[in-house]
Amino acid sequence: MNIIEVHNLKKYFATQKAVDDISLEIPRGSIFGLLGPNGAGKTTLIRMITGIFYPDAGEIILKGKKFDPENDAKYIGYMPEERGLYKKMKIGEQALYLAQLKGLSRSDAMYKIKDWFKRFEMESWWNKKVEDLSKGMQQKLQFVITVLHEPKLIILDEPFSGLDPVNSNLIKDEIFNLAKNGATIIFSTHRMEQVEEICDHIALVNKGNKILDGTVREIKQEFKENLFSIGIDEMPTALDAAPFEVVSNKAHSHIVRIKDDNKPNDVLQYLLQKNVAIHSFNEMLPSLNDIFIKLVEGTPTARQFQKVTS
Amino acid sequence: MHKIWLIIKREYLTKVRKKTFILSTILLPVLYLALIFGSSYISGKTGKQLQIAVIDSSGYFTPEKITMANMQDSSNILHHVTSSPAEFGKTLEKSNYDGYVVIPANANWETGLPNLALNTNRTIGMESSFGIQKKMNSIWTNIKNEKLGIDANRKRIMETSTVTVSPKNIRDKNANSGIATLIGIVSGILIYIILMIYGSQVMMGVMEEKTNRIAEVIVSSVKPFQLMLGKIVGIGLVAFTQILIWISFILIIYNVTNIGSTTSMDGVIGQIQNVFTSTNIPLVLFCFTFYLMGGFFFYSSMFAAMGSAVNEDMREAQSLSIPLMMPIIFSMTMIGAVLKDPTGPIAVWGSIIPFTSPIIMMARIPFGVPGTVPWWQLGLSMTILIAGFIFTTWFAGKIYRTGILMYGKKPSWKEMIKWAMRKN
Repeated sequence: MNIIEVHNLKKYFATQKAVDDISLEIPRGSIFGLLGPNGAGKTTLIRMITGIFYPDAGEIILKGKKFDPENDAKYIGYMPEERGLYKKMKIGEQALYLAQLKGLSRSDAMYKIKDWFKRFEMESWWNKKVEDLSKGMQQKLQFVITVLHEPKLIILDEPFSGLDPVNSNLIKDEIFNLAKNGATIIFSTHRMEQVEEICDHIALVNKGNKILDGTVREIKQEFKENLFSIGIDEMPTALDAAPFEVVSNKAHSHIVRIKDDNKPNDVLQYLLQKNVAIHSFNEMLPSLNDIFIKLVEGTPTARQFQKVTS
Repeated sequence: MHKIWLIIKREYLTKVRKKTFILSTILLPVLYLALIFGSSYISGKTGKQLQIAVIDSSGYFTPEKITMANMQDSSNILHHVTSSPAEFGKTLEKSNYDGYVVIPANANWETGLPNLALNTNRTIGMESSFGIQKKMNSIWTNIKNEKLGIDANRKRIMETSTVTVSPKNIRDKNANSGIATLIGIVSGILIYIILMIYGSQVMMGVMEEKTNRIAEVIVSSVKPFQLMLGKIVGIGLVAFTQILIWISFILIIYNVTNIGSTTSMDGVIGQIQNVFTSTNIPLVLFCFTFYLMGGFFFYSSMFAAMGSAVNEDMREAQSLSIPLMMPIIFSMTMIGAVLKDPTGPIAVWGSIIPFTSPIIMMARIPFGVPGTVPWWQLGLSMTILIAGFIFTTWFAGKIYRTGILMYGKKPSWKEMIKWAMRKN
């Protein structure tokens, strides 16, 4: 079952088709990566899902019903890319205020804030002001505020920017934890290594269009180039009728591409017949980074302004 | 509703607990009084005593008469000097005199003196030359009295027997235009200050929420309109609190002076009591509160819209807010004309149009309702102001909704109107 579906969503600005006919389905409990180069329309898409922008066309279905920003706000936790906190307000009061705005009662909010602050070792911050915190500390606070009201859908825009590895891991663990407890997490980023590590589903948008979506496994399978790395001491010199061709040769490690209509087993059989000692045999799947670059390549690095006629 | 209440509470508490609120509550009245008393004190002190030589060729201005005039009025000192005007002019710089006046030999007490020149080395202010003119005139009057044979008794009759005219509204027996003018000015200025200070506070607050991206977090849980309304009401309550504190200050001071009344204070207390008997205090206070809040809501929603439209740049905010401040400043410039003629067309129209009514109507009300301001005008003005702020809040809300999440270049007025007109 999908927690959220968007159908043919459109949002045009004066000089940009920011989001141009995007449809997505995000399964409950998944960690969904929304990828795309700068200016692809990720943030606009997210703002429509969070109810900040009204779409020009299309519909958003949350938990099987039409999305109603006012009443559904309590199901959503949103952390914008740039931090949104009152600089001069005390941290404890601020967390309490924002949690209450999300619909928690005062005592509930207090209990949960104390709990999270303890877990994130932030107890001593209560009476400090936000302006006293470093960027990474603000990030942690913002994360706590985002997930405090136990939203079913958590949307994180670039959650790791500015965090050191220790705190990055802390938040990463919490993300896994939240997903395990039934929350769905959408996060938008252009840092591929994080996506590979965390996400199970991804969608790639570019120029306001969705160009790819699916599970990470599926996508890798789809874009694989039948490359395998074979650990052998020396590649036989005569490769007559081999079911593969050699892409590159390095000492002890050779990369080969399996020819169409052949299977990895054919390669092994062939090599065994040649009496070669095999140390290792690995499929080489493309990294998301490679896929990303391959798909986005050729489009100008900076998105051009265009006249919108509609 | 619960969420608006939360926003109002936060806005109110953070503002009221700030040091600037406490300081401005105490300092503003002090500064205001210092400004009034200080400026009159300074202008009273700075007038320099001028030493003026009178070169008399007519024989009218005798040393005795001049000495007597100096005793009566010592703001400037006249000296009887016998010298030729040409000679004296050359040595003026080295002498101790600031200037000299020459009485021509052909002066005649029946036809009066022609325009006399006050010859000086430097330019003298109007006020000083008026002082000297007044003094010369009093000497001249003495000369005329002597020539006409008017003795001390007749002189007293001439001076004390006068006619005075003071306004009295037969429909409103208690009206006192002097006190009404005073109350009108004070409440006009207070509303002006509140509109300016708190209006721009609303604007700055909205700008803060926009540039810190808090709006983005909050707007995903409350409607932008609720956020705007909460901010305006919260800051409005802060303004109201400040006014309440000031009013209680005044009441405390009044009571304290009343208890320890000494003879020197009697005059002041009499005047204050006069205020209480000659004006309908509950009505004035009610109207003051109404127009203060009405004016604040009328303008502050538009200030909020301006704040939502601009980015970090203060200059953008200033240039956008000038058209908003103009009618407020304009009301202040109108107030003089309104106080002079509180039933004239300027006063009536100014007190009905909602852009000026908070200040102009408040200047008129102390003159008496229904004596000066008929009930229908008060009712109409209040209705239009309420309708006005509902309209501006609605209109500003639409600009705000788009502006608060829009980053990039400053929108033009045309674009903002387009935002406001857009459906949903």
